[in-house]
Amino acid sequence: MTRISLTVNGKRYERDVAENRTLLRFLREDLGLIGTKEGCGAGECGACTVLFDGLTVNSCMVLAVEADGRAVETIEGEAKDGKLSDLQEAFQKHHAVQCGFCTPGMIMSTRELLHRTPKPTVAEIKEGIEGNFCRCTGYQQIVEAVLDVSGQLEKKGELRHA
Amino acid sequence: MKTIPEAALNVMGRTAYIDDLPEPRNLLHSAVKLSGSARGRMTRIDAARALALHPSVRVITWKDIPGENQLGFTVADEPLLPEREWEYWGQPLVLCLAETKGLARRAAELVVVEGDALAPTFDPREAAAKGDFILPPRTQRSGDPAAAFARAAYVVSGRADSGGQEHVYLETQGAIAEPRDGDRIFIISGTQGPAVVQRAAARVLGLPMNKVEVETRRLGGGFGGKEDQATTWGCLAALGARLSGRPVKLCLDRKTDMRATGKRHPYSSDWKIAADAEGRLLAFEADYYQNSGCSCDLSAAIISRTLFHAVGAYRIPNVRVTGFLCRTNLPSFTAFRGFGAPQGIFVMEAALDALARRMGIDPVELRRRNLLEEGDITHYGMPMTRVRARESFDSLLEKTRWRELRAEVDSFNASHALEKRGLAVVPNCFGVSFTKLQMNQGGALVHVYQDGSVLVSTGAIEMGQQVSRKIARVTACTLGIPIERVAIERTTTLTVANTVPTAASTGSDINGMAALAACEEIRGRLVRRAAELVGGPAAGLSIEDGRVVRGREDTGLSWDDLVLKTYESRVDLSAHGFYATPGLFYDMEAEKGSPFAYHVYGAALVEVRLDVLRGLYAVERALIVHDVGRSLDRAVDLGQIEGAFAQGLGWALLEELAFGADGRLLSDTLSTYKLPDAHFLPARLEVEMMRETDNPRAVLNSKAIGEPPLVYGIAGYFALLDALRSARPDGPGMYDLPLTPEKALDYLTGDRPEYGREKAAKGDTPC
Ligand code: FES
Ligand code: FES
Repeated sequence: MTRISLTVNGKRYERDVAENRTLLRFLREDLGLIGTKEGCGAGECGACTVLFDGLTVNSCMVLAVEADGRAVETIEGEAKDGKLSDLQEAFQKHHAVQCGFCTPGMIMSTRELLHRTPKPTVAEIKEGIEGNFCRCTGYQQIVEAVLDVSGQLEKKGELRHA
Repeated sequence: MKTIPEAALNVMGRTAYIDDLPEPRNLLHSAVKLSGSARGRMTRIDAARALALHPSVRVITWKDIPGENQLGFTVADEPLLPEREWEYWGQPLVLCLAETKGLARRAAELVVVEGDALAPTFDPREAAAKGDFILPPRTQRSGDPAAAFARAAYVVSGRADSGGQEHVYLETQGAIAEPRDGDRIFIISGTQGPAVVQRAAARVLGLPMNKVEVETRRLGGGFGGKEDQATTWGCLAALGARLSGRPVKLCLDRKTDMRATGKRHPYSSDWKIAADAEGRLLAFEADYYQNSGCSCDLSAAIISRTLFHAVGAYRIPNVRVTGFLCRTNLPSFTAFRGFGAPQGIFVMEAALDALARRMGIDPVELRRRNLLEEGDITHYGMPMTRVRARESFDSLLEKTRWRELRAEVDSFNASHALEKRGLAVVPNCFGVSFTKLQMNQGGALVHVYQDGSVLVSTGAIEMGQQVSRKIARVTACTLGIPIERVAIERTTTLTVANTVPTAASTGSDINGMAALAACEEIRGRLVRRAAELVGGPAAGLSIEDGRVVRGREDTGLSWDDLVLKTYESRVDLSAHGFYATPGLFYDMEAEKGSPFAYHVYGAALVEVRLDVLRGLYAVERALIVHDVGRSLDRAVDLGQIEGAFAQGLGWALLEELAFGADGRLLSDTLSTYKLPDAHFLPARLEVEMMRETDNPRAVLNSKAIGEPPLVYGIAGYFALLDALRSARPDGPGMYDLPLTPEKALDYLTGDRPEYGREKAAKGDTPC
């Protein structure tokens, strides 16, 4: 066991963790933050994406002890006071969510992208989410949600090809 | 667009999937031991080392099963845990329980199962040659194919193969089971069919069904993979709970899920097609060797759908098609969106492609000449009505300016040696209803509470297709209230019994209709009460937008007041609704009937760009014209079309299931099994919903949407083949899906001549 101290969504935590515990399991099982999902546990699907000092990581590939002294952001930090963030609103509006299992990871990847590139092109959006598999949507509605939230949809509020 | 709370929970990451649920006190975790070879006779199970690991470890084998060790309902060939033989690499043999997930997994590794190797079969044609079928072959026929072949101007034959496909629902399979009040058992199962799990668990535990409750909240994707094959995990968890007297959780890790569960059926097929001098199709024959895997599962219903879709969207007067369910030592292949139809349609499109090439005409023109027309009778005897094959095909050609596009691509290809473009158009005609007739039924339970809010329970499982939203819409429309007043309850065997799985694209059709029936009954009672309250006859009164109106006039009575007053007058505000799809019949002896409520139409164009030196390609554009009837929710339907197309395209071009020579699944991770990512989808993807028309055979004139659009992926295959042929005009036909970059490169370099050779050897005209 090692004592770690970190912030998650701005809140400070101190915990003893086993050295082999992944950040994913630490978040889900020790802190009860079950919004972050496990899709593969092997760094291959992106469902477990969180921000680690502002950059995306697959939390199944990071050890909790590595997060000592770091700032982690998860999907639970995205909505403030029960109010959806603009990004979440856009996902909802564009029906970028079907089964919802990839969604938390997808939103975290998109969040990082928008920090870096406030007005991403379609190619940049695809690059931003290339590590996140979605088996349901075909990605199109996700791309549209991101275009919309960055103020780039030609006809705001309408689906491009409905 | 209206928002519903559930979508908000989703984007907040607050939807609870099985692994997210608070764990019950005293929970035991579990893991399965998988077989390490494709076929063997068990001689010994040694659990000593596993048991020594930790006092909480318990090892459960088939001997511990209190009831019947059998999950197969169509054919009794699916033991929950094998008794004598294991039949594929990755089959669950033993269940281990322990205090933690880690301990359970380690225990499973330590269990030793010994046995004698038996000779396995992996190739469906080899199984067929040995006569090893799960059920006898089935044949559908119409007209006189032999005579038609004899007089035809063109006869072409060949072979077509299509590979399996992993579902890769992002949430892996899982279940939690809890013993309750003495001998009852409660199972939370990640299944598309709670009643299937209930029935199987009751059988395995030796309990009546009224002692087994199964609940399903929401799935992180299903796609057919959790229609029948969630049952194993639900039953194993229930078995563990029953034997230990404690709650047991079984959630598979991705690798175990990929190894142990079934996938889309691979097919290997022979076909023969004939046309007259004008290119009118005269006859078609095919033999489908379905690789069923080691047990029946849903294979019989799936081969039905293949046969029903054998000639796709075309009119062919003389047909003979035969399906073989070939037993092999691979996981039991199962339902996957499309359910055998895409496999059949691929064979048909391959035959047309070869025929067009032989005749020297544009394959698009050949397809167009032979589309189904109103009043045509299918080879299984169903008269076709409200046919929209030509309407969709022609509107697609018009939108794409087909002639100009073809000419432009041809001239591009003529002037570019290292880069080629390819085009294909594929029509769609997809039958809606379960191919197993008895399954076309569903129930709903609707409660109106005193405050006017409404709760609906049905057998429908929410897995991202927004069936809840559609049922809420049907309820709101029927009762005449805002959709916000409606909530959809989780699915459990307590509220609605004997439900069928949410599958075959029928989730909204069947459950929506059942909800509608219940709502109509309640509405009738409410309107009668309203007539007493406002005076005048009940006829002419209705409820709209939460108000009681006569004609256009507001009567001053609100929904809320009406509900409360109806309750006070001691009238039942609940109803159970039932729906059985009318007009379906099928004679299995004659292989004739009307097995579908209606058909869904459409067409797709796909364009690809090929790098001739590397065999790499990109899908540049897709245009889909699709028939939605009157859409219940256009945004939802759009998402279904795009998502299904993505899966179809993945199946056609990218996703390759790989088994080793020993039957071991090699593509058992997401790094070895290639899924479509954001880049794979065409840069230009346009979906056009056809002019809305009534569909009297489904709820509120809508049409099923889940599966049909998957067929459009097949256009991706033929677009790439088109590009490959421009690069190598002398190249043979190659109908071996998925057309991965590796196969494309082999084709370009001529390293893959087996298709040409094989056909030449067969005697018929090689294509
Ligand atoms: S769970 Fe971490 S990448 Fe899949
Ligand atoms: S919404 Fe289901 S995986 Fe993306």
